[in-house]
Amino acid sequence: MESAVLIDDLQAQVRRIIATATTLKQLLPVDLDKAPAPGAWSVAQILAHLNFYGDYYLPALEKALAQAPPAKKYFKPGWLGNYFTKLISPNAAGEVRGKMKSPAQARPSSFVKAVDTLPVFIGQQQWLLELLEEARTKDLGSVRVPISIAKMIRLKAGDTFRFLIGHQQRHLLQLTRTLHQLQLN
Amino acid sequence: MSNNISPDHLEPVRQLARPVLPDNSPEMAALLAIWQPCDCKRKTVLTAAGETERHIYVVLEGIQRAFYLSETGREATIVFTYPYSFSGVADSFLTQTPSSVFFETLTASKFLRAGYAQLEELQQRFPLIRQWVLTLTAHALKGALQRQAELLCYSAEEKFRILLNRSPHLLQLIPHKYIASYLGLDPATFSKLLGSIRL
Repeated sequence: MESAVLIDDLQAQVRRIIATATTLKQLLPVDLDKAPAPGAWSVAQILAHLNFYGDYYLPALEKALAQAPPAKKYFKPGWLGNYFTKLISPNAAGEVRGKMKSPAQARPSSFVKAVDTLPVFIGQQQWLLELLEEARTKDLGSVRVPISIAKMIRLKAGDTFRFLIGHQQRHLLQLTRTLHQLQLN
Repeated sequence: MSNNISPDHLEPVRQLARPVLPDNSPEMAALLAIWQPCDCKRKTVLTAAGETERHIYVVLEGIQRAFYLSETGREATIVFTYPYSFSGVADSFLTQTPSSVFFETLTASKFLRAGYAQLEELQQRFPLIRQWVLTLTAHALKGALQRQAELLCYSAEEKFRILLNRSPHLLQLIPHKYIASYLGLDPATFSKLLGSIRL
């Protein structure tokens, strides 16, 4: 795939996520902290979960980009990168391929509050946009980032962006569903 | 990056520059050389709030809007753009400070766009290009202040009638909820006004 087209697409996705997150500020924080059903995550928890991965991947991507050689016109995804991205991302119809279980350390406490997690989330998305802008000048195929759950698996920086944003899209669907269950949208 | 745009495709930029830059001048040639094509699907966010606008756009096809999301729960449409106007978040572009609004396409869109650094470099080299940018900024300011006055002074019905007189084609092009938001009316008031016109 053409690198510039990939980055345009990923940036457009992140910007839409920022717009969605910004509309959450219009709701009452207390509603964002409510579980939609016993044991189900609140909006604040979904954001905490995404922040957990942002805390890991954004600095890792920044470090990888700093070491990357100049941009190439085409980015060739790795087979593992494609596999993980496809596994985690919603399909074109906006559906996920069945449930997945989050690793224990990524499961947010039920005490987290949206007043804390929402600003952090939006800040991370702004950072992600900047990293994608930086990525325009770098070869995304020649540096790799270890994945959070298995450090020996290392995805190309381009695939790490795709996987990270696909994971966010998955939870944005959950977020929309949660608001719907709480009758907030 | 390759710049393989045919001269025909740059005609909209030439038209917009002509009032200040003479045809066949070195300034016009330099200006035409900095534009790249950019095509987007509908509902693509090109600039997010908090991000600094990097491009100035000229619209070739499609409709776009800039909107503000307030923390009190309202969404306001600030401006619509369509062919062949400039687009993007003008204030963020000119000041290179974070945008307070989102800029998105409402329909599939085609643009020409130029980067801030390239335009700035031309402005330093060519006083006439700086003059051109200043003229554009002045007109944008004039439009913004005029709209400010209209928003403060006119009733819902008057705002609606001004729009109907000035840009009736917008009613066919743009979903009405966005036009209502642009006028600061709630959608119900807007459709009532629309109904009264048709009677």
